[in-house]
Amino acid sequence: MGPGGVIRVITETEWIQQARSGDHVAFGRLVQAYQTPVYNLTYRMLGNAAEAEEAAQEAFLRAYTHLRSYDPQRPFRSWLMAIASHYCIDQLRRRRLTWLSFEDEIAVPENPVEGGLVQLASDLPNPESVVTQQERAVQIQTLLSTLSPVDRAAVTLLYWYDYSYEEIAETLDLTVSAVKSRLYRARRDLAKLLEEDGENGLQTSD
Amino acid sequence: MDCKQATEMMVARLDGHLDDGSTVLLEAHIGACCSCQAEWRSLQRLDDLLTTAPMVRSPVRLRVQVMTRLQRREQARRAIVGSTTLALGTITLMLLLLAPVLLDLLRMVGIAPTLLSAGPETVVQLLALMRTMGRALLVLLETFVTPLAALSLCSLALALALSRLWTGAVSRLRTES
Repeated sequence: MGPGGVIRVITETEWIQQARSGDHVAFGRLVQAYQTPVYNLTYRMLGNAAEAEEAAQEAFLRAYTHLRSYDPQRPFRSWLMAIASHYCIDQLRRRRLTWLSFEDEIAVPENPVEGGLVQLASDLPNPESVVTQQERAVQIQTLLSTLSPVDRAAVTLLYWYDYSYEEIAETLDLTVSAVKSRLYRARRDLAKLLEEDGENGLQTSD
Repeated sequence: MDCKQATEMMVARLDGHLDDGSTVLLEAHIGACCSCQAEWRSLQRLDDLLTTAPMVRSPVRLRVQVMTRLQRREQARRAIVGSTTLALGTITLMLLLLAPVLLDLLRMVGIAPTLLSAGPETVVQLLALMRTMGRALLVLLETFVTPLAALSLCSLALALALSRLWTGAVSRLRTES
């Protein structure tokens, strides 16, 4: 960790301490620092902007409520990601129950970018690249939506947060071997789906 | 090595968890097995798709939304705590003021069985009891109009009004800052 990292950790620790004693401004700074990582997770998990926004808000509110139980020995980011992951897993399970109770034929996942195109955290050089990026974004969300809630969280934490198997296990309350087998199975299935999409010419339009 | 083991090793290789010896074995298997070759290609394609996907940026309004919800929740919590404290305070005050009357009433309940078993004298005693209850009611009414009770209720109302003013001022200051 460089000097910048050390400063960030010190400042973050202060913000957490102040937020713990009810300082809203300090908590606002934590929200500002982590809003994109939290939102990206909720978006990857839930697949649409409105629900992701609501879930990200809820995750931060839960974090504020349980700030006293936060162990400073653990990275704040991991703790926050665990709260957001569990909230999204619960939401997805609830959503599945609602679908089952309606007995509707819902085989195809909803359009992941419904309700507006998502804003990607990268600088895009030209409009054509924007289109390609959006197509890839749709493809990724379609693939993720085929996974179970826990597998979806594991894949998201692995690819967007560079989590190790151990960190994923800790975040999702699983054993390391369970994480390994979930990640193996999930990626084998996703690769198969991607291959089928490629054969059907569905993944991108030329 | 069978194809299932090969797939497991492919996934381990993507995550950088495969040692050199196993990598050589895996490459040899992939070179000789058409279906594993295709699987390795599709796994690499998936890995490339996910690795290069950037984070989705959060809407700028997210922080403001969280803070607004937090403030509303805190205000609601304060209102609940305030009204519970007020209710408990009022009940305590009422109990303190009515304590002598309540004690009299309890004493009367205590002598009730004796009154019932007293035979002809019961009517006289019942009248006495009613008179006592009438007095108790009078004491109750007097207690309510006692200047001390009125003063207590007024200070309670004043405290409530001041706390509401204070809460309003603090939340206004927070919103401005």
